[in-house]
Amino acid sequence: MTQGSRLYFAVAVLMCAFVTINGVVLNDLLERASQLSDKLHSLSTSLTNDLDSHFPPVGRAMMPRPSMCHTSSLQIPNDKDQALKVPEDELLSLARSLLLAWSDPLALLSSEASSLAHPEHNTINSKTKELQDNINSLEAGLEHVFNKMGSTSDNLSSLPFYINSLGQDKTSQLVNFHFLLSCFRRDSHKIDSFLKVLRCRAAKKRPEMC
Amino acid sequence: RFSRCDALIYTMVLNDCVSAPDKPRLTSCRSPEKETFTCWWEPGDDGGLPTTYALYYRLENSETVYECPDYRTAGENSCFFNKNDTSLWINYNITVVATNALGKNISDPVEVDVAYIVQPNTPENVTAVVVDDQGPFVRVSWEKPRTADTRSGWITLLYQLRVKQEKDKEWEEYDAGMQKYYNVFSLHPDKEFMVQVRCKPDHGFWSEWTQPTYVKMPDYIPRERSLWIIITIFSIFIILILTWTLNVKRNSVKLCLLPPVPGPKIKGFDKQLLKSGKSEEVFSSLVIQGFPPTIGYDDLLVEYLEVYDNEEQELVLDSKDLSEVCMKSKSLSDCDSGRGSCDSRTLLLEKCMEGREGSGSDQHQYSQHGETSCTSTESSECQGLEPGSPESSDGRVKTWPVVFSSPQPHHHYQVEAVKPVYHSVPEILNRSSPHAMPTNYHQLHHQDIPQQEGRFSKPACRHSQSYNQFNLDGLDTPAPGVSPSRSLEYVEVQRVNPENMLLLRPLSDPNREPEGSDYAGEDYSKVKEVTSNNILLLQRDTYHQCVDDYSQDLDSQAGQCTTQQPPHPCKPVIYQSNSGMPQEGMRVMGNGYVDSTVLMPSY
Repeated sequence: MTQGSRLYFAVAVLMCAFVTINGVVLNDLLERASQLSDKLHSLSTSLTNDLDSHFPPVGRAMMPRPSMCHTSSLQIPNDKDQALKVPEDELLSLARSLLLAWSDPLALLSSEASSLAHPEHNTINSKTKELQDNINSLEAGLEHVFNKMGSTSDNLSSLPFYINSLGQDKTSQLVNFHFLLSCFRRDSHKIDSFLKVLRCRAAKKRPEMC
Repeated sequence: RFSRCDALIYTMVLNDCVSAPDKPRLTSCRSPEKETFTCWWEPGDDGGLPTTYALYYRLENSETVYECPDYRTAGENSCFFNKNDTSLWINYNITVVATNALGKNISDPVEVDVAYIVQPNTPENVTAVVVDDQGPFVRVSWEKPRTADTRSGWITLLYQLRVKQEKDKEWEEYDAGMQKYYNVFSLHPDKEFMVQVRCKPDHGFWSEWTQPTYVKMPDYIPRERSLWIIITIFSIFIILILTWTLNVKRNSVKLCLLPPVPGPKIKGFDKQLLKSGKSEEVFSSLVIQGFPPTIGYDDLLVEYLEVYDNEEQELVLDSKDLSEVCMKSKSLSDCDSGRGSCDSRTLLLEKCMEGREGSGSDQHQYSQHGETSCTSTESSECQGLEPGSPESSDGRVKTWPVVFSSPQPHHHYQVEAVKPVYHSVPEILNRSSPHAMPTNYHQLHHQDIPQQEGRFSKPACRHSQSYNQFNLDGLDTPAPGVSPSRSLEYVEVQRVNPENMLLLRPLSDPNREPEGSDYAGEDYSKVKEVTSNNILLLQRDTYHQCVDDYSQDLDSQAGQCTTQQPPHPCKPVIYQSNSGMPQEGMRVMGNGYVDSTVLMPSY
């Protein structure tokens, strides 16, 4: 009996250690993920500002409505009370789903950025590329977080993107570019918010930060 | 107002022009905590009539128009959206409608996404405390704005503070990140500062600055203690290392700083005795018993040996010539033969050079010294020690020349351009025939030397090599006169033979070999003895008359020479003569001096 109890005790200790270590690692992972998502949103905001600097007024009229974003079908919490009620793994899957939904569109934006009829298309091009890199990093990071969290199911929503071209003429290309970017900016804000909520939930050891 | 009375509606009541209201304008919408938001508008001209304003909004994905739920909470011309009415990540299409009796006017629509209009309230409870822990500094601390929910992570706030003195123009800004305190260093002592704090969400607008908080720095003297402590410790460390190194290398340091002084290396000289200070004992070992021989002067006084040079030869001393002579003779001296300076031909030359004014005396002789010449002291001594010499009255210093001429036919040895120093050699011949002396006597005159006592230096054994010119004019043959036809011949002291005999060699010897070679001269003069008054008695060769000579201060000279030149003991080198030694040989003293006690009246 003593042998069995000793074994049980050892296993419990190991599990505790594992969980503790994992907790620490999860916290750091989420911290890193939040930083990435923050960077992502900042980049998209600056891109939007660059675009707005020389945007034809007629383009604004032509701008599609935000509900036309391909990710608008995803059900997300819209205020704090709702968001705080969502469990962590759901929040994570929401963030990951959104992120995954933007891989292809950003690739399209990247390809179209160089030929954009905009005086600052070089800056836009470089920032778009940077955006793509960041998304890839965040995707990988969130996958780690998911693995660390140990969720049973991976319920990622599929948000397909079927558009291959931004438009034939310069104006529509510009307008569509702007529209896509605005959709992305909002979604990046969502991702950032969700991850920061997750971060504070995991960082029980650092209450001063949250 | 009147210009606007386009409609020409004139009311009787107001007696004024009225019109529909102007278009209102939405100025801003802000959300302090990402949960509620407020919009403000600017009313236009109301047209002179009471106008009401209504805000309507529409969400992006529906056509339903809603009116502002709360016009009051946020004040005049504002609309407050509470939590229930606030949704994030949705565009609000907001318009304001101004309505009056005559009409209404709609503002331009504004698209608002609440996520992008976050501007928190100002931080609260800003406190600034002076902390004196490590040099006084100010610790500023604050609290988050009450409404912001950072705890759940819904909103993330970044703080910033700024400090300045009342009179300053520029603020000093610091970023505090997400923490709620900050330590401000390097504030000037005895000054009052004001501090303000504000915050910003991760993606949003900066809040307003808080009201200034005042803090007074105490009066203190900055003591950069830590730096001085480090410097002190470091220098102590270095000093310790240096001291230890010096201690280890004590001996070599002592050797470097205080090199050992070479002690005297005199045979028989006892250093310890010298240290103890008893000079008599010290020098007693150097003193040769029985030397100088204490024989009365009278016994030793013999006539001077007078050596005359050919008067045709201009042997007037000249300072320049002297130097030439000295140089020349010096150059002619042989370094290897051991004759060296003691044996130098120019020894006397040098000596006389110093002391001599150079007078053209017809009695110019070269004298050859084997030893240091007379110094000033010696000169007096020399002077004084010639009581019996008639020539001494001339004031000539009698030196110790070892000169002897070989009985060769009179011929002059002419040293090229050599102006010799003239020394008077005390006559060693009998005064009975003073006038026949010239050929028999070798007289070495030291002229003008006494007057130049002061200038008389000790050329020592190194320098002066003077030729002793001797009138080797046939000692056998009596010469008619003394001065005019005196012929002089040079004799060179070549070495002292093991029996301590001074062997002289005439320089005019045709058989004379080149300098430096050891050769046995046929003609030589031997030092017969040294008198008590340091007179060197020369001895001629067997078939020559022995000539006594006075030498002055032989001992002292020799002694000086010895002391002055330890490496060159003053031993005149005399070559062994083939002709053998005279019967009355010189007795050689133990210390290398010839024994003057042995007299030999050889003439």
